[in-house]
Amino acid sequence: MSQTITIDPVTRLEGHGKITLHLDDKGQVADAQFHVTQVRGFERFSEGRPFYEMPALMARICGICPVSHLIASAKACEAIMSVRIPHTAAQLRRMLNLAQMVQSHALSFFYLSSPDLLLGMESDPKTRNLFGVVAARPELGRAGVSLRRFGQHIIELLGDKRIHPGWIVPGGVTEPLSSAKRDEILAMIPKAYDDIKLALSWYKQVADTFKQEAAVYANFPSMFLGLINEDESVEFTDGALRMIDADGTIVEDGITASRFPEVIGEAVEPYSYTKFAYYKPAGYPEGSYRVGPLARLNIAKTMGTPLADKELIEFKQLSSGPVQSSFYYHYARLVDILYGIEKIEHILTDDKILDKHVRAMAGVNRLEGTGQAEAPRGTLHHHYKVDDDGKIVWANLVIATGQNNDAMNKGVLQAARHYVKNGKFSEGVLNRIEAVIRTFDPCLSCSTHAFGQMPLAVTLLSVDGEVVDRIIR
Amino acid sequence: MNNHRARCLILSCGNTLREDDGVGPWLSLWAESRFAGHDGVVILARHQWTPDLAADLAEAETAVFIDCSIDAAPGEVRLESVEAAASDEALGTHHMGAAELLALAKDLYSSLPRRSLMLTIGAGSMELGEQFSPTVQAALPEACRRLAEAVEGLLASA
Repeated sequence: MSQTITIDPVTRLEGHGKITLHLDDKGQVADAQFHVTQVRGFERFSEGRPFYEMPALMARICGICPVSHLIASAKACEAIMSVRIPHTAAQLRRMLNLAQMVQSHALSFFYLSSPDLLLGMESDPKTRNLFGVVAARPELGRAGVSLRRFGQHIIELLGDKRIHPGWIVPGGVTEPLSSAKRDEILAMIPKAYDDIKLALSWYKQVADTFKQEAAVYANFPSMFLGLINEDESVEFTDGALRMIDADGTIVEDGITASRFPEVIGEAVEPYSYTKFAYYKPAGYPEGSYRVGPLARLNIAKTMGTPLADKELIEFKQLSSGPVQSSFYYHYARLVDILYGIEKIEHILTDDKILDKHVRAMAGVNRLEGTGQAEAPRGTLHHHYKVDDDGKIVWANLVIATGQNNDAMNKGVLQAARHYVKNGKFSEGVLNRIEAVIRTFDPCLSCSTHAFGQMPLAVTLLSVDGEVVDRIIR
Repeated sequence: MNNHRARCLILSCGNTLREDDGVGPWLSLWAESRFAGHDGVVILARHQWTPDLAADLAEAETAVFIDCSIDAAPGEVRLESVEAAASDEALGTHHMGAAELLALAKDLYSSLPRRSLMLTIGAGSMELGEQFSPTVQAALPEACRRLAEAVEGLLASA
């Protein structure tokens, strides 16, 4: 008799989703689906609003990565205004985006995933959380808290609040950086280095014990997409997109925000409210690809900062071509953090960083605009159309989670087939399947983000829909 | 990231777009005005309490947590002592309350405020909206008075 296993909700994610596993008559996993069960609607309810309101509105999409939405949105608005923002404003935005990346990655790695890595994928669920990490390795917990505070405090210093800062506006930023704030940020840098070095050192000690997970946690060939500079270094805020195939060959290069809609399409599946992005020339689903930390490191030839470059060399030794296992998103996330700290330090030594000219002003000069940036979890694209008065008549957002959606589904299926045998599973096995999703650090609910231990209900249904078994934790 | 040790840390949580859930942040704003000029009073308002706040708590001499309550009658103001949760309790990081935050401060930094109080206001409604329900609106003067007395008492006992 065929069965269905439902994991609802999936725990320790940004938002709420569920997983359905379909078993065949022999109890083997025949199919798997990762459902995102929320409807947001930001694209529709922004219609009719003045375009200059969009950054502030779009930032409300997400409580963990509002800065990325602010930047992608402001860039789309600047395309409508046809303005180029001042150099200092671009550098300040870059710093804010990196600060957000550091705090978001710290949350993902230390709060959400380190319990699995430190305590074990099948350890006691009552202690498989941040408190368990703190009990076992308090210095690791302190490093996680400290790195998150580092990023949040920079956001608060620049944007006046930690969540939904309003400092980034179409044309630049609302006020320049003061020397006092610059010095305060610089003073925090040495501790941030200590924390990330501790985390990288610990990760490398335990990474080899997860070879089985690396083999089956979304480990398959795919294309990768991410922002890159002309010198082939990692970029989070400007630059253009590059797509590579599973062998590392460049498939598409120099994808500016205005070209993005020509290259990337979105498909819809009936079981999820999140769309499935794909590379148009390859079609759907053949054209699915991955974004985020793993993609960024696979695409870049250099990080562009000395310490992160050393880590990139080590990272690339994992594979002769692009690293394909999504388990290594964790490693890439730590390298991202190191890069972010170095880059923030570098930006603060820019001799124009205290310049007072940080905003360009203009009205509606085009009726369409696009903007893109790297959010912590991957590429983010905003596309707006306006009328002559500058009111939004159409908006489309392509978020990182949608671009990883097909890979997450394939990853869940791969892991489920490996760990669920003859229709039998344990809580630990279910956690392993959830952990596949966690490697991607998806942002499902965005503005209503949540973390930690949430109720998990697993229901076994017969082919007739009859409840065969139910486990609640 | 505070430059000085707080003699009294006021830590509120709530969503100002959810009617009475926003009473904590509202009281924080009131406290900013009431205790303006008191260098030792540090006020933090958050949508929810997250683990990184443990570092702030570890640096504070005393603390007052503020939140709305669905256990108390609408408009009922309570002021109670709060202790760190026992380490053998199943602690989560999703619904992090005052006791869990104190436990995290203790486990991470081996440091706790010498006294912590919890001020709660019973919620009447938490629907979408920026207005308080009539019962909570009517309770605001008492909540302000109890908060002021609590903070002044903690400062005086230092």
